[in-house]
Amino acid sequence: MSDPTPTRLPERPGEIIDRTRQVSFTFNGEIYPAHPGDTIASALSAAGVRTFSRSFKYHRPRGLLCGAGHCPNCLVQVGDEPNVRSCQRAVEQDMDVNPQNAWPSLDQDVMSLAGLGDRFMPVGFYYKTFMKPSQLWPHYEQALRNAAGLGVVDQGTPWGAYDKQYLHGDVAVIGGGPSGISAALEAAEAGANVLLFDNGPQLGGHLRWRSDSDDTSRKDLLEKVQSARIEVYTDTDVLGWYQDNWLAAVRGDRLFKARAKAIVFATGTIEVPTLFDNNDLPGILLGSAVQRLLNLYGVAPGRRVVVVTANRHGWDLAADLLAAGVELAAIVDERRTRDHPASVDLAAAGVPIYNGSALTGARGRKAVSAAVISEIDDSGNPIGPGRVLSCDTIALSTGWEPALDLLYTAGGKSVYQENRAEMSVDPVPDGLYVAGSANGADLLQARVEDGRVAGRLAAAHLELTEPPPQQELDKLALELSKEERRTSDRISAPDGKKRFVCFCEDVTDVDVDTAIAEGYDSVELLKRYSTISMGPCQGKMCSVNALRLCSRIKGQSVQETGRTTSRPPTTPVYLGVLAGQNMEPVQVSSIHDWHLDRGASMMVAGLWLRPEHYGDATAEVNNVRNRVGLIDVSPLGKFQLTGPGAPDLLERLYINQWRNLRKGRVRYGVMCNDEGVVLDDGVCARVDDDTWYLSTTSTGAGTAFQWIQWWLQSGWGGNVHLTDMTEIYSAFNLAGPHSREVLRKLTKRDLGNKAFPYMRIRRTRVAGVSCRVWRIGFTGELSYEIHVPSSAGLHVWEALMEAGGEFGIAPFGVEAQRVLRLEKGHLIVGQDTDAMSDPLGADMAWAVKLEKPDFLGKRSLERISVDGPHQRLVGFEMTRKHIVPEEGLQIVKPQENGKLNIIGWISSSRFSPTLKKSIGLCWLPSDIGSEPGATFTIYQDGRLEEARVHHGPFFDPGGERLKS
Amino acid sequence: MLVVPCPNCGPRNASEFRYAGEYRPRPHPSQDVTDDEWATYLYTRSNTLGVHTEWWFHTSGCGLWFLAERHTKTNAFVKSYLWGAT
Ligand code: FES
Ligand SMILES: [Zn+2]
Repeated sequence: MSDPTPTRLPERPGEIIDRTRQVSFTFNGEIYPAHPGDTIASALSAAGVRTFSRSFKYHRPRGLLCGAGHCPNCLVQVGDEPNVRSCQRAVEQDMDVNPQNAWPSLDQDVMSLAGLGDRFMPVGFYYKTFMKPSQLWPHYEQALRNAAGLGVVDQGTPWGAYDKQYLHGDVAVIGGGPSGISAALEAAEAGANVLLFDNGPQLGGHLRWRSDSDDTSRKDLLEKVQSARIEVYTDTDVLGWYQDNWLAAVRGDRLFKARAKAIVFATGTIEVPTLFDNNDLPGILLGSAVQRLLNLYGVAPGRRVVVVTANRHGWDLAADLLAAGVELAAIVDERRTRDHPASVDLAAAGVPIYNGSALTGARGRKAVSAAVISEIDDSGNPIGPGRVLSCDTIALSTGWEPALDLLYTAGGKSVYQENRAEMSVDPVPDGLYVAGSANGADLLQARVEDGRVAGRLAAAHLELTEPPPQQELDKLALELSKEERRTSDRISAPDGKKRFVCFCEDVTDVDVDTAIAEGYDSVELLKRYSTISMGPCQGKMCSVNALRLCSRIKGQSVQETGRTTSRPPTTPVYLGVLAGQNMEPVQVSSIHDWHLDRGASMMVAGLWLRPEHYGDATAEVNNVRNRVGLIDVSPLGKFQLTGPGAPDLLERLYINQWRNLRKGRVRYGVMCNDEGVVLDDGVCARVDDDTWYLSTTSTGAGTAFQWIQWWLQSGWGGNVHLTDMTEIYSAFNLAGPHSREVLRKLTKRDLGNKAFPYMRIRRTRVAGVSCRVWRIGFTGELSYEIHVPSSAGLHVWEALMEAGGEFGIAPFGVEAQRVLRLEKGHLIVGQDTDAMSDPLGADMAWAVKLEKPDFLGKRSLERISVDGPHQRLVGFEMTRKHIVPEEGLQIVKPQENGKLNIIGWISSSRFSPTLKKSIGLCWLPSDIGSEPGATFTIYQDGRLEEARVHHGPFFDPGGERLKS
Repeated sequence: MLVVPCPNCGPRNASEFRYAGEYRPRPHPSQDVTDDEWATYLYTRSNTLGVHTEWWFHTSGCGLWFLAERHTKTNAFVKSYLWGAT
């Protein structure tokens, strides 16, 4: 049997796998071995797997590239979880891993045959190909989704247990590499509470996998962190900076909302690929990815490696490969110097070294089989014939890009340093600091020192310590300026093969050329048109190369070219994490359980859960009309005003008159805003001389309370106090011809029409509980609204139900109430009115007292009353009595040319069981609406239905029943 | 997230508050207010680039309405105070 892990190396110092144990998992249906500590990618690499995915547009094979969770190449589906970065996800026993975006298979992908994609998908293909004709877009979209899918969402996946946590610190440090740790230690030393975030499984940053230091420096730093007052969050991605130093960070299923007074960005650098022919072949890896494979997991990237570099890191890598016993085909260095300490050993080992040379292309079909290199002149152009080096791996270590995305989201301005070919941030906003390799420091000592200074500056920002002396800052700046350049901005000349700028979206240099030629030459336009940097890597792998290319094509500097705006999240995040727990608070009344016991069907009304009906709304309507019913109206807004200033306030808040209301009396009132738009309505009672008690709509209660408070707290609050009684009182409406008889059984108060007439309020003992009882009638029947302290709500409710037994009492819900009030032609604010409805149009002109010196809406209503309202709210009946037009339907006027003009809308409609016909309320132009009996047309389901205007209540127009 | 200085409770997350727009003195309707003046009060906002005065309500807090002076570009608060206190 062949070796299942042909590229697993003998044990490496510092590796994090446990070789004493084995686990197994499946990839693409086959079983693979792994060790605990392996990632999916390291285990697959050890088994010699090279193709991990197929590319987005052309379906080209792609292998590991960055090994750091930045690029799109290693995305896989794990069980029901799509888009998992296999280089970051630890292997677990029996994990079911599958490739994505590869149909019919990873090995044989039909889309890539004959470069099919090429003709179909030019740059800007979304815009050019698929936009016209637009009615075909759904088909295109379907085809595209099948071809391009980024994994599959399993609709059956259960809701995860997501949660959130608030964090508070003085100083937040983002990045737990040597500079971040140093910053955290320094700030903690000065007395700051420090939050330290790192996206890796352990602190240490590059020290974990790069051999440019001995392991003692890392151990030393970690020990110090443990003994300091530092809250460490590993495996945590910081997604974005928001106003006032608010950081969103994610660890697993948890969202952290962290607030700090100062922040150190020690976010490190991202190694970036370069442009050359076939630069996307599997087997072409970034140098740091190779070092991670080698030093963390003991895996060789391949059997014969060409190291391509322009800095010391490539030489560090070559030394590691040599030590690990991996064959080196060559070291190719753009620079002409050869001063790396390892160069002697490498030369002695017979490794061919090409200084002043660069990679111009790669060869291979399914994976790389050779590197093409050439000598270059001082401006980086190839001279002489190229040289072909056969190999199965190319390790690219030619440039780094400081990871500044987060700092950009915090308002940092980017400045491109031409001499270093890297971005930097200048100025850095107040209270924010950038440190370490993100700040251009490269040598370990410089990173540590830079971090220390940033930590001190952050602590000094909080006035916990003095800032470092100027000469220390100068010395550090000098050291940093002497750092060797680590990034090459060389771009190889094309030689007929594809060269990918953006791996996520399969955008080539030719596409960039074309887009710019077509006029999309600003970076923001170029991004949207070509979709460069819009894929899973969000620009981490491509934006700097796109910028360099764009600036070269346009003949301007990178700084002039500018960069696209960075926005959070800087790394992908589960929507579930942002959504958090599935928690929606609801309010329930004091007799909620009783409703449930009676099988009530509950509905959401604002924040409340209310019984919609108890099985048969029509029967409930009939019972109220013929016998007696009881409804829970506890969600009504209930407010008490006390103090001699109350009448003044009421006069200003309502369009009605209040001062003349006598003790014990009730009046219907309407509130408007200054635009003259109806905000709320309800009843208001004068309980005694200085006490007023008012109700508002249920759904508007919260808004009304804030509204009243606003005026009260801005000059209208003299001698008056407002109390929210909404939850203190439960409220029940006892309605129907027998309601008096029912209530009489529970109270000694005289309920006769003389002693307690319509539109009065009385303090009344009901079933032994002191209540406020209103005699009002939304349903049009004799009715009593009983406001009872919520603690005694259930007692009184049950007493009423029991007392009503002999009269056939039954509970009724919101639906029956809606029908009952509609039969009376009463409007519901928010249902029959909207943000354009004034009381003059809404049939409430009688309530508008323009003669008052001031009230909210007065000036606007004066203006409206000059011409009269344009639209009127009126009742209607259908010509075909059984047709109930849907609420919200349009009222139309057929034109001569056959078109329909919209002239109004249906706000309420029901079939009235009392009147045995369909009735409703609607908004009509004033001329039609003012004429009872006028006909108009409703457009319903492609048909035109005729209706007639009706004025006043449909049922009991004289109001005899409610006054009986 | 923006931190809003409640004059009663101190600095709190903006999610606790309701924002209610620019402060506009209300013309008294009983005086002669032209249609134009009234429409300006109702619908025109100064849209200042710089410090302006605005209304906030501490919904999930003390329930007070207050005025705040905030820079509309940097979001920096200059001060906040109850109505009439300046
Ligand atoms: S190789 Fe895993 S994200 Fe780049
Ligand atoms: Zn407050």
